[in-house]
Amino acid sequence: MNKMSYKEKFVQMNKEAKATWIVAAVIIIFWWVAGFGVYSAFGAGFTMFGMPAWFVLSCFGSWILSIVLVAYLIKGVFKDFDLDDDVSAAKGSEKGEDVNE
Amino acid sequence: MSNSFMMLAPVVIFFVILMGMGFYIQKKSSDARAENYSKDYYIGGRSLGGFVLAMTLVATYSSVSSFLSGPGVAWQKGFGWVYYASTQVVAAFLVLGVLGKKMAVVGRKTDSVTAVDVIRNRYQSDLIATISAVVIIVFFTTQMIGQFVGGAQIFSAATGLSYTAGLIIFAIVVVLYTTVGGFTAVAITDTACAIMMLIGMFCLAYAIISKGGGLANIMATINEASATAQATGEGFNMVAPTAPSGGVASIPVQLFITQWMLCGVCTIGLPQTNVRCLAYKDTKSVHRAMMYGTIVVGAMMVGMHLLGVLSRGVLLTLPEGASTDTVVPTLISQYMHPVLAGLTIIGPLAATMSTISSLLIAGSSAIVKDIYLHHKEAKKEPVNQSFVGKISIGMTAIMGIVAVLLSINPPDIIVWINMFAFGGLQTAFFWIFLLGLFWKKANKTGAMWCIIGGLGAYILVYVTGIKIGAFHNILVGIVVGFVCFVIGNNMGKPIEEKVGKIFFPEKYPD
Repeated sequence: MNKMSYKEKFVQMNKEAKATWIVAAVIIIFWWVAGFGVYSAFGAGFTMFGMPAWFVLSCFGSWILSIVLVAYLIKGVFKDFDLDDDVSAAKGSEKGEDVNE
Repeated sequence: MSNSFMMLAPVVIFFVILMGMGFYIQKKSSDARAENYSKDYYIGGRSLGGFVLAMTLVATYSSVSSFLSGPGVAWQKGFGWVYYASTQVVAAFLVLGVLGKKMAVVGRKTDSVTAVDVIRNRYQSDLIATISAVVIIVFFTTQMIGQFVGGAQIFSAATGLSYTAGLIIFAIVVVLYTTVGGFTAVAITDTACAIMMLIGMFCLAYAIISKGGGLANIMATINEASATAQATGEGFNMVAPTAPSGGVASIPVQLFITQWMLCGVCTIGLPQTNVRCLAYKDTKSVHRAMMYGTIVVGAMMVGMHLLGVLSRGVLLTLPEGASTDTVVPTLISQYMHPVLAGLTIIGPLAATMSTISSLLIAGSSAIVKDIYLHHKEAKKEPVNQSFVGKISIGMTAIMGIVAVLLSINPPDIIVWINMFAFGGLQTAFFWIFLLGLFWKKANKTGAMWCIIGGLGAYILVYVTGIKIGAFHNILVGIVVGFVCFVIGNNMGKPIEEKVGKIFFPEKYPD
């Protein structure tokens, strides 16, 4: 658990969101190349485990790639911190300031 | 008789367990509810751990179409349809990674219980909040009806009961446990449902591979069907990504692009899933949920659709006039041992129920919390927690019952609205959430333009039947929504500093 100020948490969360988008983009590109790309280069005759290689690479490949990249995200980019704002908690019951009026 | 009894037994046991969970949770959470009813009933007191968070997300997400219609089409079109469905692999980690923590942090700071609460606090507009709640109520109700119809069809096909009898038994179970147990019961039963979906999938995989005489045999059948399709122009080339039939792609590349929006990227806007970002316990939970969610959603989407393709090795043709929706029920009822069949049929039923329960609880929260309680608070009227309890339970029950009654003989208008409900929700909320949480300049005028312009354009293209190439209409909704947001935003006023400091503290000097 990292001690962060309310502001630092937002800087961190913006970084995490950006990394998540990059991971998604990498997966989409990989999916495209492994599927349409492999099919147009080798056709359906190229097989893996008895099934068309373009299918195995794109579907199972993107899935495994997603798992690997998510593992990287949560180990390398995402950080643990307190979701409650402890600064205001210390000051008393400022939580949920009436932004609503 | 004995066969249908053996098949029914696992289903009945599962139903009893689900209802038991609902009542148990109601009893257990009575103290928390006495203190703050809506926070416990609608968001489970922000207590979900990683595993349950992942499972409830995936279960809400996988509906009757992932277990029935999707694999049915895959049976017909082949691997291309699995490729098409595999775009959903990003759905679980994207919503949690992009919106997950920010919604949790600002949700706690502003004491938000629903997705609409977050919108209201961010844009400081009761009008946008009310429009959002109404959009949610309309689309959730129609989606629920769609799921009820699908679930009742499976239930009656499996049990031999009539459609209406099947609907009523099946609906009583899901409405009851959702109504009494609230969000916690939805999350826990969703987890049970997700586990049963996986078990059902493995049973089905075993049956298909063994009845089909192994993967090599099945693939030989598929290759032969594809060769015939290419030679005669009838049927689909099952081993090509676009599943061409007679030289024409039956899943055009353009459709793949919009599929990435509709079932991948834009799903982060769906209020029934992103409300879960308000419900989990701590950052460890959300990190774990990203991992578990990605593993399970991929296994389920790729797995179920692949099984649809491989079932071609068992079921070569369908009876004349039968829809591809009957592929999975036929496989289950004809090629599996009754007890195993009973266990497997729970899979699609569970997929349906877990989607309905989440729509129901979130729909009810839109009426009770976002409209009724907000109205009370605005008038500074005191809120009695036990009364909130009564109307929360009452409204959930009423909404469920209305949806069930409409499902007996669904009016055409509902069938029609359901066709664009999924994309409509994304059109309405994708930019509102994304820009609201990541773009400080986003203001209520932009948001209003986006929801009216985007949704308006999206509905308009449906009504008029306008198509842009082979793209799905979601493209129109999302693009027009974005343009409207930016134009409207320029005319609006910047957000107030007190809101800015909650949502964008990093933009202010210390």
